Amino acid sequence: MSIQESIRFTKKDDIGLIELDLVGEKVNKLSSPVMMRFNEALDEVKSSGVKVCILVSRKNNIFIAGADIEEIKNLTTRDSFRTAIARAHDIFNKLEDLPVVTIAAINGACLGGGCELSLACDYRLAGDDKSTRIGLPEVQLGIIPGFGGCVRLPRVVGLQAALDIILQGKSVDAKKALKIGLVEEAVPSAILEKRAFDFAREIIQKGAKKRPKKFVARGLMVKLQENHPLIDVVFHQARKMVMKATKGFYPAPLKALEVIKKTYGSSNRKSSLEVEMEGFLDVGVTDVSKNLINVFYMMESTKKQNGVSDPNVKPHDVAHLAVLGAGVMGGGIGFVSADKGIITRMKDISNEGIALGLRSAHALWQRQLQKRRMTDFEYKQRSAHLSGGLDYAGFKQTDVVVEAVLEDMNVKKKVIAETASKCRPDCIIATNTSSLSVTEMAKAHPNPKNFLGMHFFNPVNMMPLVEVIRGPETSDEAVATIFALAKKMGKTPVVVKDGPGFLVNRLLLPYMGEALYLLEAGMSIETVDRFFTHKFGMPMGPFRLMDEVGLDVGMKVLKIFREALGDRIEVSDLSKKLTAQGRLGKKNGKGFYMYDEKGKELAVDQTIYKELGLPTPTDKLDEKECVERCMLQMVNEAAQALIAEHIANSPAEVDLAMIMGTGFPPFRGGLLKWADTLGSKYIAGELDIYASKLGKRFRPLPALENLAKNDRKFYS
Amino acid sequence: MIAFVDRLSKKRGTSVGSSAVSKTDRDVVLIDGVRTPFAKAGAELKDIHAADLGTTALTELLARTQIDVNVVDEVIIGNTGSPADAVNISRVVALRSGIPLKTSAYTVHRNCASALESIATGFDKIKSGTLDVVVAGGTESMSKMPILVPQAIQNILNKLFSAKGPGQALPLLGKLLGADLKQVLALLTANQRDPYFPVIAVVQGLTDPFVGINMGMTAENIAKDFGLTREEQDAFALRSHQKAVAATKAGRLRDEITPVFQPPKFKTIIADDVGPRESQSIEMLAKLRPFFDKKYGTITVGNACPITDGAAMTLLMSRAKARELGLTPAARVLGYGFAGLEPERMGLGPVYSTPVALKRAGVSFKDLDLIELNEAFAAQVLGCVKAMGSKKFAQEKLGLGEAVGEVDPEKLNVNGGAIALGHPVGATGTRLVVTLMKELKRRDKALGLATLCIGGGQGGSMIIEREN
Repeated sequence: MSIQESIRFTKKDDIGLIELDLVGEKVNKLSSPVMMRFNEALDEVKSSGVKVCILVSRKNNIFIAGADIEEIKNLTTRDSFRTAIARAHDIFNKLEDLPVVTIAAINGACLGGGCELSLACDYRLAGDDKSTRIGLPEVQLGIIPGFGGCVRLPRVVGLQAALDIILQGKSVDAKKALKIGLVEEAVPSAILEKRAFDFAREIIQKGAKKRPKKFVARGLMVKLQENHPLIDVVFHQARKMVMKATKGFYPAPLKALEVIKKTYGSSNRKSSLEVEMEGFLDVGVTDVSKNLINVFYMMESTKKQNGVSDPNVKPHDVAHLAVLGAGVMGGGIGFVSADKGIITRMKDISNEGIALGLRSAHALWQRQLQKRRMTDFEYKQRSAHLSGGLDYAGFKQTDVVVEAVLEDMNVKKKVIAETASKCRPDCIIATNTSSLSVTEMAKAHPNPKNFLGMHFFNPVNMMPLVEVIRGPETSDEAVATIFALAKKMGKTPVVVKDGPGFLVNRLLLPYMGEALYLLEAGMSIETVDRFFTHKFGMPMGPFRLMDEVGLDVGMKVLKIFREALGDRIEVSDLSKKLTAQGRLGKKNGKGFYMYDEKGKELAVDQTIYKELGLPTPTDKLDEKECVERCMLQMVNEAAQALIAEHIANSPAEVDLAMIMGTGFPPFRGGLLKWADTLGSKYIAGELDIYASKLGKRFRPLPALENLAKNDRKFYS
Repeated sequence: MIAFVDRLSKKRGTSVGSSAVSKTDRDVVLIDGVRTPFAKAGAELKDIHAADLGTTALTELLARTQIDVNVVDEVIIGNTGSPADAVNISRVVALRSGIPLKTSAYTVHRNCASALESIATGFDKIKSGTLDVVVAGGTESMSKMPILVPQAIQNILNKLFSAKGPGQALPLLGKLLGADLKQVLALLTANQRDPYFPVIAVVQGLTDPFVGINMGMTAENIAKDFGLTREEQDAFALRSHQKAVAATKAGRLRDEITPVFQPPKFKTIIADDVGPRESQSIEMLAKLRPFFDKKYGTITVGNACPITDGAAMTLLMSRAKARELGLTPAARVLGYGFAGLEPERMGLGPVYSTPVALKRAGVSFKDLDLIELNEAFAAQVLGCVKAMGSKKFAQEKLGLGEAVGEVDPEKLNVNGGAIALGHPVGATGTRLVVTLMKELKRRDKALGLATLCIGGGQGGSMIIEREN
């Protein structure tokens, strides 16, 4: 029986040992069968007569990763949730009530349900390995800690520290866990188990007493915060912070706060856990939670994939990387590469270019240094792996070259041909173009199977998406190598086919293009942007986004799309006027908004309406129309790109790309998930109406029309 | 072999000389060398740690040679300042430059010849067959050499750090306050002998530990012994600047220099040596006061080398390994020699070490095509030239029958020397070899000598032969 072996109980004198080691799994997680077996193990502990019991994991870098998300995903009704949670409560209560002193010896990830299990133990010791993360990430999945975390964590670490962890879904390392009192000791991982046994013997010597379950404030600040009426201030501040961070789109943190407020300080475990359960049920069944879990799955699946259909294709090791064209983009790529220990070389045509690249990259490291995310030694070691030069020195050692020179087909082709002649034949050249044809560029490479696109988004260090653009002749190995490289750089790669704007920029086109028509129709810039940020949940409204991209770049790309996709792409006449006025966006401090020297947004430039020959805005269009005019066009384009042109492989990849590349609100599950809630029939119908009123840019494309005809969804 | 001798003799046109040294698989060849620009301490490179200077040079060397870092057997780097946060600086440079964890790295210290020692050590290890591929070089930030608290204060601090509780600590803090006041007093009176005067590492490092005089005074001794005038020293210094300016302007040194981008903003790019002054004139030099012997001296800051920051790296390997890796050697190391002499005349070191190196290399002085003799002081170089040409000196001091050799000024430091470029003590040895190697190729010449004097009374010399 594998489940029997997954949780083993043994004893030696007065000390029992529970070893967690899920058979056939890489990680320990609390699925239903595991919980049942754990329940049995507790009985074994009870009847064994031991005085102390230690819990350890036999997995590398994992204590317990959490509950089984697959199970949570499949629970859709309040009742089904209630049954599962009540069972867990019983088991954890049993653990808490054992007449035996319990010690969780935590090394590696101890998250969600795993953390809650450890909280039901008397003592926690943490291994100081950097894999050790203890926390409650539930709110990131749209739920709240449901196995007693909302009740037990505040009881162990106090209110403020518990709110920090629960409301933000954070986890802490061993050092921080020790500081907030979450663990008794932070022990060198190599001796953690030995120390746990010594700790157990010390407890036995002291009479093997259970630990009182009440938080004892330590330090003046914490003592003050724990007192009425300051405790209300803490709750108030926490709520303000949550509202600021979530704009109210995410109900889980607020629910968690409500639960903690109701239960904190109560000594009645039963009623407290019931409050927590009701809170969990409220959020567990919401679409927001299902969507967030879906997004989580999409990201997890990227981690497991290799970017090609054949799972046996192995990526090449990338130890050396070169970037052509230093600059801000090149420096950003240099940063994400060297930061991960890849020896990185930037080549540029001038030392000034290299200086700019180094400056951009070092500014990012220095920011991390200031924020104490790294030590000075780490900074030195990582940044030393980034160097620059004017020639092809070192290119013979290079495994991957990322080309980031001027967006000009002829220049790029020349550079690619030249670079290929300086590298080993197995070196992969990837272009970081945002709008040029990878297929055309590949013609310059003597061996196009080692050529493809690797599209980073600006700013490289912030934007998690990398589009891996597969050319017609690109080999599986090359795709897998760049896919793995993007992951190593901490990015989420999505493989797409070549086509104008690839995936994300193509879908963003109507977002930005339509905004200009809204401006024409008398809408104000701030109102439109606000509809998208505060009502729809985008991180930036279309005007703010255009400023970020650069108005000159945006208009140039609009033109390229028009050429590539034909005259169904309509572009407002305002586009020409905009760039003629020297408004470039954030980069010169002057776009739709004004910016200070540091690039901080100040306010909408109110002179822009007059400059564009527009009357004072009247804001007569409502939110629904503004959002739909932009978003439904995006859906239309996405349907065509996905279904007719196979730019992406699946609706999930489109959604992942939009979330990672544009910040499309994750609680909506992605563009197509959101579209499915409206239905293709509705969308096509609305588009038809807009088309008749406003122009052919709205006309439903064949792919969407087909879906609508059968009232089909993107996700089937 | 005979064909090779033939070819060499044709190439040089005149004597066959050293070409009799046959080529073998165990020959130690130099593949390439790179250095940072040199800059006077406290100037352009002042905020860059010696380890980072070394990393800049080594990263570039690895890129230029396109070598697989896994084949490097050992990294040997010279350094004299031993920064407290990177005492085995070689290992720090190695790992930052991307040399793998498995590869050993250590630091060597032979004062001014530390970076010649690194090549010499690498040479021995390869020659003996112990290793195949060695990175050898040197790095120094004289700007960052520390100013230390005086021993009297250190004693208080030591006790303070081990004090238990405020009861023990408070009286010590009081003592510290008193000691600090004494330090201020020592500074006000500029009394360097005061036990409370701060210890300036760079000054101590340049003070001879046996006779207790500054390096400048050792050069004064030579100037007086050999009757060297202020004028000839200044003229030599001016020539050093003129040659270095000419070399820099013609871009000759760019071959060996990789630019340094000045942190933390990376806006300033230092692509050339900062020291050489085109505006330098004999009048300006003449105006300077003697710095060391203020009354009878002739040595000024103008005819001595400045304290300097910089790094230089080379890649050495056996001929067989170079062939296997498809690398073209730039030069072969024929041999080296170190020798000692009286510390108060340390500047004459090259006169003592050169005959040793020549003998081991199997070549004669007259066959040398170029000489890089480090310019610690003009007086010391001029003294070396005189002593090398003197049969009497050879007989009395070296126990040799004949003079070491006549130094042809046209072959000496043809691109200027340390008076103009600077002398980052732990890096210069490699700089000399790299400059020599590149110039031999440029001039289509064969044999070169790199030599320098060493504080504490030693000299070091190395003979290289161009390969390609």
